[in-house]
Amino acid sequence: MLKIDNLSKIYGQQRVLENLTLHIAPGEIYGLLGPNGAGKTTTINIICHLLKADHGKITIAGQPISAQTKYLIGIAPQENLFYKSLSCRENLLFFARLYGFSQRQCQQQAQLCLEAVNLLPQADRDVETLSGGMKRRLNTAIALVHQPKLLILDEPTTGLDIETRYEMWELIKQLQGRGMTILLTTHLLDEAEKLCDRIGILKQGSIIAEGSLSELQQVIPAQEIITLKTMEPERAIAIGEKFGLVHRYYGGDLAFWSRETLELPEIMNIFQGIKIEAIARQNVRLEHIYLELTNS
Amino acid sequence: MTKNKHFPGKNWAEIGAVTTRILTELWRRKRNLIFWAIFPALVLILNSVILAERAQLTTDRAFALAAPGTLVGAALFFSCTGGTLSTIVAEREQQTLKRLFLSPMSGLSYFIGIFLAHFTIGVGQALFIYAIAFFMKAEIAGSLLLGWLIIFLSMIAYVGVGFILGANLAKRTEDVNSLVATFGVPLLILGGVFIPSSVFPKNLLSLAKFNPVYHINQALTAVWADNKTMAEISDHLWFLVIFAVLMVIGAWLSYQQMLYTERRL
Repeated sequence: MLKIDNLSKIYGQQRVLENLTLHIAPGEIYGLLGPNGAGKTTTINIICHLLKADHGKITIAGQPISAQTKYLIGIAPQENLFYKSLSCRENLLFFARLYGFSQRQCQQQAQLCLEAVNLLPQADRDVETLSGGMKRRLNTAIALVHQPKLLILDEPTTGLDIETRYEMWELIKQLQGRGMTILLTTHLLDEAEKLCDRIGILKQGSIIAEGSLSELQQVIPAQEIITLKTMEPERAIAIGEKFGLVHRYYGGDLAFWSRETLELPEIMNIFQGIKIEAIARQNVRLEHIYLELTNS
Repeated sequence: MTKNKHFPGKNWAEIGAVTTRILTELWRRKRNLIFWAIFPALVLILNSVILAERAQLTTDRAFALAAPGTLVGAALFFSCTGGTLSTIVAEREQQTLKRLFLSPMSGLSYFIGIFLAHFTIGVGQALFIYAIAFFMKAEIAGSLLLGWLIIFLSMIAYVGVGFILGANLAKRTEDVNSLVATFGVPLLILGGVFIPSSVFPKNLLSLAKFNPVYHINQALTAVWADNKTMAEISDHLWFLVIFAVLMVIGAWLSYQQMLYTERRL
């Protein structure tokens, strides 16, 4: 559905994108992760024909990016962009009209989109009166109103409370179920883990790792991560090295990569003699992969 | 259902959407519409009373003389220029400009949509002001068509000015008032909207000849109050046509500039 090949963009002396390549298959949710300044927003701007790339090629549904491909893309930007003094329905009618629907089609599309994002009861309320979660859903509805083939969601749940975030996740999954191809950018790694079929990690304008979560887990040669809370971290690290356990710090907590699944008594045995306050075992998660790749 | 960018009626659909949206927003905030009616009505009454007393005119004649200037000055200038300025600033503050740039909407449609919205308001103001004038027994002496042509051209010019100011100078809502006051009030005074230009000293009158509001006011007053023909107002009309064209060009260039600076997420 979306093919980006060797995309490059330079601002002055700064190379913002460097030979960026990524492909998104139809019906897939692709998560684009990366630190601030990695080039995510620049990539979206180029896909949406707001910026011109210096080199490279982008096609959507086989068509090169142009003013024409604006009809194929729906985007829900990070900020909620709509007319606050209009109602939800009026916003949708306005944007539908810009995409060339007849009056009757606009009404139908507005109704469908309001249903899709569960905003039908609030259809005729002024946007100013909506909650944060409802506004975010309206933002998504506007992106859907012209039946795009590719939906771009830029940090769709940033700033939302946990219940609303779960609602948005449910909505995104439903949209995928209806055949939508989705490009999602997010800083929330659990969101990427939950939603994305494939994840691309962007650093300094290039994809440094890409694949499904299970494919990305190969980046860390470990079966699980053991987190240790102790007052003697240096001793723990020294002991860990003797047993071939690579150590890392995640969020200030000392952790070890274990190539095999170790039970608690085995871990206690390895670190005997050290005062341990807490031990935790967890699978290799996206957080560990992301930090490993972006800090290297 | 994806549309080809050249589907028939694309621009008209976009223009209609922009116009409807602006009018809906204005209707929601009825306050502005009410004030855009009250202000010129008060100016018309005050100007007419002063004219009738000082120039020893009958009431109907005073209203007939005051109405054109009131319409093009007190009414259309603020609703068209100020209104366009506010529309652009609001779009910039709400960041809805970015949404519009993401859509296939053309700049031409955007400008014409804004123009038609404020043209609609302007027609309403014209009908309201002249309803008051007619109530006071004033009459339109000359060609209705020629008068409406002048009003139409003045609206194009005013919307163009609003677009240029909004795209280049006004970043926030707080800027609108000061810009409209700075650019508008001197032009309106010098245009003879509040004080008849016949009482201007010579040097001010020479300066007024560079003022588009002066020419709009003179043209409409000449046609609707004094029954002048197109040939008799040709100088004013040509100035207005050229000014309107320049403002449209300026608005287009300003839109391109706005595209360059605002067109990214």
